[in-house]
Amino acid sequence: MSVPSVNIAKERLRSLLITDRIHCTPDAVDRLSGDLYNTVSKYMEIKPEDFSIEITRSDIHIRYTGENH
Amino acid sequence: MGEVIVITSGKGGVGKTTTTANIGIGLSRLGKKVIVIDTDLGLRNLDVVMGLENRIIYNLVDVIEGSCRLKQAIIRDKRYPELYLLPSAQTRDKSSVSPEQMKKLVDDLKGEFDFVLLDCPAGIEQGFQNAIAGAERSIVVTTPEVSAIRDADRIIGLLEAAGIKKNELLINRLRVEMVKKGDMMSVDDVTEILAIDLLGVIPDDEQVVIATNQGEPVVGEDCLAGRCYDKVCRRILGEEIPVTDFSHSEGIFKKITGFFHRS
Repeated sequence: MSVPSVNIAKERLRSLLITDRIHCTPDAVDRLSGDLYNTVSKYMEIKPEDFSIEITRSDIHIRYTGENH
Repeated sequence: MGEVIVITSGKGGVGKTTTTANIGIGLSRLGKKVIVIDTDLGLRNLDVVMGLENRIIYNLVDVIEGSCRLKQAIIRDKRYPELYLLPSAQTRDKSSVSPEQMKKLVDDLKGEFDFVLLDCPAGIEQGFQNAIAGAERSIVVTTPEVSAIRDADRIIGLLEAAGIKKNELLINRLRVEMVKKGDMMSVDDVTEILAIDLLGVIPDDEQVVIATNQGEPVVGEDCLAGRCYDKVCRRILGEEIPVTDFSHSEGIFKKITGFFHRS
């Protein structure tokens, strides 16, 4: 049985909205994420899998889940 | 003072005009005095959807240019208690009217009507700017498709930037059986992505096509879309009616498919 197409739609939409909302290309979003990750990692220990960036209409939220507690 | 609501979407063909007509008629049936304004200059449609195309003498541009009085251009739909249409011009382009002129017109109408509904053209250019100029509230129409939702997101950003704070979502043409199969985004999927309040959901219903062919509304008719439009109108008036979640409940799903088979 094939994958429900709704998952593909949601994934494509999510990526489109991020680039629309901050007016830059998917490539620029990747580079921005990389730079933000590097900046944060200067000050605290993080791993890529604990780090995520969420871009809403006018705000960028950086979320990380630390382990050392 | 009446309330001015713009019905908009960004993308074309998602059902703005049908929605404007049905909400206008629905609100009038609930006892409100309503005027619907077609702001799509050059592509007049709202009159056709409402079945009033043979009664047009003057239009929006004539009023704004002062070629006629406002009262001469407004068409009363005699089938409903207090429903009026201000048609658009078929032969003029978007630059015939400015946002300031539209705002003034709408402000004048606010004093006389309980609701002023503006049917917005597709796109984000001058026609859109004109339509939102006097609005204090919006209904963003979308269908559960990637392109329509993307455009709706863009429109919501522009409405917020223009200072319109009350923006609500209407999801149109939801196909319940496709949602169940995982081949169409559900109400939850769409609201999670767009993050504005949900005003209502209109399931895909052939009755809408049939009614539009005849220049008649579905609201007030005993069909699925008609009942959903009626609920939308009641929510606009502040009644708290829960939105049917078409994606999860097996019982409701069966009821709906049963209805489709019957009709």
